[in-house]
Amino acid sequence: MRLHSKVKWGARTLAGALLAGLFLLPLYWIMTASLRPAGLPPARTVEWLPPSPTLANYPAIFEMLPMARYLRNSLIVVAAAVPVTAVIASWAGFALAQFPDRPRRRWLGLSVATLMIPGASVWIFRFQILRWLGLIDSLGALIVPAFAAGSPLFVLLFYWTFRRVPPGLYEAARLDGASAFTTWWQVARPLARPTTIAVIVLSFVLYWSDFISPVLYLYRPALYTLPIGLQILKQLDPTGWPLLMAAATIMTLPVIGLFILLQRTFLGDNSLAELLDRN
Amino acid sequence: MTLFLLPYLLGTLLLVVIPALATLALAFTDYNFIRPPVWDGLDNFRTLWASPLVRLSLRNSFLFLALAVPLRLLGALFLALLLQAKRRPFGLFRAAVYLPTVIPEAAYALLWLWLFNPLYGPVNLILAWLGLPTPAWLAEPGTAVLAIVIMSFFQLGEGFVVLLAGLQNIPHALYEAARVDGASAWQSFWRITLPLLLPWLLLLTFRDLIMSLQNTFTPTFIMTYGGPYYATTFIPLLIYEIAFDIFDFGLAAAVLVVTYILLGLIALGLFNLSGLNADEITF
Repeated sequence: MRLHSKVKWGARTLAGALLAGLFLLPLYWIMTASLRPAGLPPARTVEWLPPSPTLANYPAIFEMLPMARYLRNSLIVVAAAVPVTAVIASWAGFALAQFPDRPRRRWLGLSVATLMIPGASVWIFRFQILRWLGLIDSLGALIVPAFAAGSPLFVLLFYWTFRRVPPGLYEAARLDGASAFTTWWQVARPLARPTTIAVIVLSFVLYWSDFISPVLYLYRPALYTLPIGLQILKQLDPTGWPLLMAAATIMTLPVIGLFILLQRTFLGDNSLAELLDRN
Repeated sequence: MTLFLLPYLLGTLLLVVIPALATLALAFTDYNFIRPPVWDGLDNFRTLWASPLVRLSLRNSFLFLALAVPLRLLGALFLALLLQAKRRPFGLFRAAVYLPTVIPEAAYALLWLWLFNPLYGPVNLILAWLGLPTPAWLAEPGTAVLAIVIMSFFQLGEGFVVLLAGLQNIPHALYEAARVDGASAWQSFWRITLPLLLPWLLLLTFRDLIMSLQNTFTPTFIMTYGGPYYATTFIPLLIYEIAFDIFDFGLAAAVLVVTYILLGLIALGLFNLSGLNADEITF
């Protein structure tokens, strides 16, 4: 029996390791391909490490394109949109957790329903609304989704967290004469730290990666963000793979860095499941 | 308390709900964004019905969904079952599986453009090394959709995380009881795990039907621009072209309406097939 169980776990671990390796391959290839000297003829066999790896492709793309400006625009968008998203989602989750049963169910149902609204169905009229707000052809067009909390998912994450706080805690704060805002800031917010961090990372990914909004709503090249920079680089040099992969690495590294810092919150042994625990 | 919900409600109303409803209405108008919309009844629907490009794009999209959604969900379910263990290296494995999901779309598209290069892309180099046929992938209409399906498979992190959470929500006592009754692992999967995960799977299917189609926009825009021979012209790219290239907002809205009616019918069919009722799906 014990031997049987050991073999079973061994096989499981091996299968897990192989699959994990398969899913790490894309990332591995982005990075190693970016180190290949740009002028070299392409390899004709699978190449696990480029010959004479170099970092020269990185400064090269900053000379070919105003990458520094794209990077700055992307950072402005993220710096503005992520905090707004976190606060608005946290407030909404906090409110929902304290609503009486019936209105709460209704609002939650609506939030889940908006999760199902496809992006394409809002493109056309959002263009119109942004025009009325004077935000077409400005970075504001990329920041404004933060006021809808980025995604209803973030609101649901906060709601699941705040629901687990014993209601007595809020009650006690209120009896001490704390305003609703003070209760949120001093009682609820500190308890939701892991959720706040998760929402910060996920919303960073959302705004940092956003390709569609700049395509639809920006025209001036001075406002372009990194994803558009990648697209321009591809048009400029469609087969310059080392350069393209260097640009892709610049876009990907910040996201991966944040993710590694926070993967425990998502995928650790007591992760999201704890939030979703129905008690 | 309502005050705390207000910013989110206003934001969602203004940026999501109103635009989605307005699009529905615009489908029945002639609207090119310079002149105000003019009611023209079912005219847009007649135009799209007569357009071979719209029909082709619908066919491409539903072919893509028929391949991508089951593959992504079964993949996520299999990986969640395999990697759910609370043991040492499994946390790392889970992180590795999720990782491609966070790679920004534009970077991800460039990466796969290289991986699928017919002559010196790693995918074909590996296939050649294994002695397997090496298709032209994105350069050939027959394999281009398949290539987009494969790249979408590696971004199954959302379903994976949700199913992991669903698995952890199943009370352990159920498995204990089944073991005492002499049930095999296979039996407890079919009798306990699957029925209890069904609401989660159904919800994920609905979301994936919508999101995986939406997520084809960036890869098709950057990698193929709908080609070769319109093989990867999926609905989001088609709508973009109709709305923002030829500025026929009414027709674009009509294409959307038809697409989501068809998706709604599929979702309804799946829901009936699952035998669940709406009360069982709660939050």
